[in-house]
Amino acid sequence: MPNNIVSIRDVVKEYRLDKVVVPALRGVSLEVERGEFISIAGPSGSGKTTMLNLIGCVDTATRGVVEVAGQNTGTLSERQLTQLRLDTLGFIFQSFNLVAVLTVYQNVELPLLLQNKLGGAERKKRVMELLAAVGIDTHAKHRPSELSGGQRQRVAIARALVTEPSIVLADEPTANLDSATGEAIIDLMKDLNQKKGTTFIFSTHDHRVMKHADSVVRLADGKIIGKESADAAVQHALQSAVDKAPAPAAS
Amino acid sequence: MTPRQVLVWIFFWPVLLFVAAPRWVPFMARMVLDMLTKVTVWRVAFLNLLQHRRRLMVLGSSVAFVTIIMMTLLGIAEAMNRTLVESSTTLMSGHVNVSGFYKVTAGQAAPVVTRYKNVVDVIKKTVPEHTYIVQRGRGWAKIISDSGTNKMFGLTGIDVKSETGLASVLKIKEGKIEALEKPGTIMLFEDQARDLEVKVGDGLTIQAPTPRGVNNTLDVTVVAIAQNMGMMSQFSSFINEKSLRQLYQLNDDATGALQVYMPTTDLAVLRKTQDKLREALTAGGYLMMEEDPRAFFFKFENVTREAWTGQKLDITNWKDEVNFVAWTVDLMNFLSFFIAIVFMGVVGVGIMIVMWISIRERTREIGTLRAIGMQRPMVCATFLAEGSLLGLTSTVAGAVLAVGLAAIINGANITLPPGFQFILMSDHLNVFPTVLWTVVAVGFITSVITAISLIPSAIAAQLKPVTAMQHVG
Ligand SMILES: Nc1ncnc2c1ncn2[C@@H]1O[C@H](COP(=O)(O)OP(=O)(O)OP(=O)(O)O)[C@@H](O)[C@H]1O
Ligand SMILES: [Mg+2]
Repeated sequence: MPNNIVSIRDVVKEYRLDKVVVPALRGVSLEVERGEFISIAGPSGSGKTTMLNLIGCVDTATRGVVEVAGQNTGTLSERQLTQLRLDTLGFIFQSFNLVAVLTVYQNVELPLLLQNKLGGAERKKRVMELLAAVGIDTHAKHRPSELSGGQRQRVAIARALVTEPSIVLADEPTANLDSATGEAIIDLMKDLNQKKGTTFIFSTHDHRVMKHADSVVRLADGKIIGKESADAAVQHALQSAVDKAPAPAAS
Repeated sequence: MTPRQVLVWIFFWPVLLFVAAPRWVPFMARMVLDMLTKVTVWRVAFLNLLQHRRRLMVLGSSVAFVTIIMMTLLGIAEAMNRTLVESSTTLMSGHVNVSGFYKVTAGQAAPVVTRYKNVVDVIKKTVPEHTYIVQRGRGWAKIISDSGTNKMFGLTGIDVKSETGLASVLKIKEGKIEALEKPGTIMLFEDQARDLEVKVGDGLTIQAPTPRGVNNTLDVTVVAIAQNMGMMSQFSSFINEKSLRQLYQLNDDATGALQVYMPTTDLAVLRKTQDKLREALTAGGYLMMEEDPRAFFFKFENVTREAWTGQKLDITNWKDEVNFVAWTVDLMNFLSFFIAIVFMGVVGVGIMIVMWISIRERTREIGTLRAIGMQRPMVCATFLAEGSLLGLTSTVAGAVLAVGLAAIINGANITLPPGFQFILMSDHLNVFPTVLWTVVAVGFITSVITAISLIPSAIAAQLKPVTAMQHVG
């Protein structure tokens, strides 16, 4: 088993809009180790979502190699990619993306049913354990529409982790939450990362969220401009916020 | 069109689809497998249907409406079919008939079986399972009334005492059917009596050529007038058996047809019986006519054109003898399907649009399912399940309502206008929904709706998982 769970080498991703080619990633290389809890940071349009999509096997690179759990995703069929997502990846979305008609319990159970590996009793045990771990077990029979944003994201985390994936990807998981709830969600993710050793890769704008990461990958204009410790990243973020802020008006 | 044929088609179209698009076969196979094995498919489909209750009501009630229309029409066709089978097998045919033509010269044909008792012996030996055999005289004659009007129609010579079934099928309006026991008597149907301007007790002159080619006449008295039985009562009437022999100058050993009654009316079985009889009679030295599924009075023209003389035998079943009316049942069945298909076209477009909207609304959800690892065939299966659930529940509801409606229609005793009486072979509107036709209608409409929803479902399955990442607003 390779030590690096994710390995990106010289990846270019271009979007084609009619005849215009929009470069989203321009030659990116990154290695992520098992069990890391890393954040991808960068201004809007810098390519954070694009990178997560490539790692998440929901999109393919224009050039370069993306290896996830030792598999070169460029060589896999659509069907194999789907299977890879099911077995080794978990997703947490900005807008939670729960299935509206299913209960909390059924939403979390869904990936296990897709996998069809566990028997009924084991499945139930696993789902209930995770619901308890994210603190939502009392709402198992509720519909997503009956929950608050923070509660929904907890359900989404449980769903992402229920198959015990190697990697969990989260694109701005706190953007639709107030900052206190957002920090609680990141704390929860960090807790699960430490307990289960699951690799977490999440993108964020928010430096309060960023500071929980082991390390921060900084993107700008489709390029990685550095991988640094969370503290340094937060300093960076604060600095650029100060730089960008309009000069205080003299009064 | 039999229910069985339709059922075969219902299960056959997916096969056609496979043949038309072999590239899709593995996809479809996985999809079907998912539908058969994954509870999630049905759970999500069912819950989504429930979620949009108004949508379900509108689409469901239109599908139910189509089901009601189709089942009612099929029920009318079935009622016609039952009347047809029942009355044809008493009025003009057995389940299987051995009849024939006798020609003295090439150009003169009489619908006669000579020395019929020998033929009966062969039948009894070959078809031991028969329930009983009736012999009837046959003729095709000009009937002239005292007022000078005349009409050509078929004559059936009966021994009224041996015809137990006849009394229950014929509705006598005037006179008594038992009076046919006396020689020189005839029974007419209402329309015939009206055309000839006669009543019970009036006299008629019958004119027909004997097998020897001489025109013979016979005077008879009208002893009974029966209610019309649609088209079937247009073509023949009943006359005393002895009088018919007298008209054609036949001896007692000659008859028109031997009507064999069997334990079943199933044509597949009867055709085998026909084949056996044909073989046995050929072996017995009889000359056989070629198979011709028409009533005997349509066969004169061909028979008189052919060169042979002497006796030839003909074997038919009840359907052959009433073919000239049976097409109405086929037409009615066809119409039921045709109208259902036209309505389904309209409803189908509605269902497509609604499903299309629903897929647009659920784009992100579908993307999410794909992202978390649901394969394309299962996405397709989920939407297809929604379509077929909608189809099944609303057709079943429609079927229940249609059965209720049939009971109401039958109970209301609705008298039909004369034109419809003619076509439907009954004076009242009858609807007879059978279990088999109900299954067929439910299966047919459900499968059409499932087929229709296959298109939006396939589109849903093509959605990319990356759509899950798109944010609302
Ligand atoms: N589907 C697409 N078609 C065309 N261009 C796209 C598409 N998705 C992203 N882009 C472009 O690629 C670049 C990177 O976009 P991306 O969504 O990865 O940025 P981001 O860092 O996630 O931004 P944000 O913080 O606003 O979410 C942008 O210039 C964007 O306009
Ligand atoms: Mg983004």
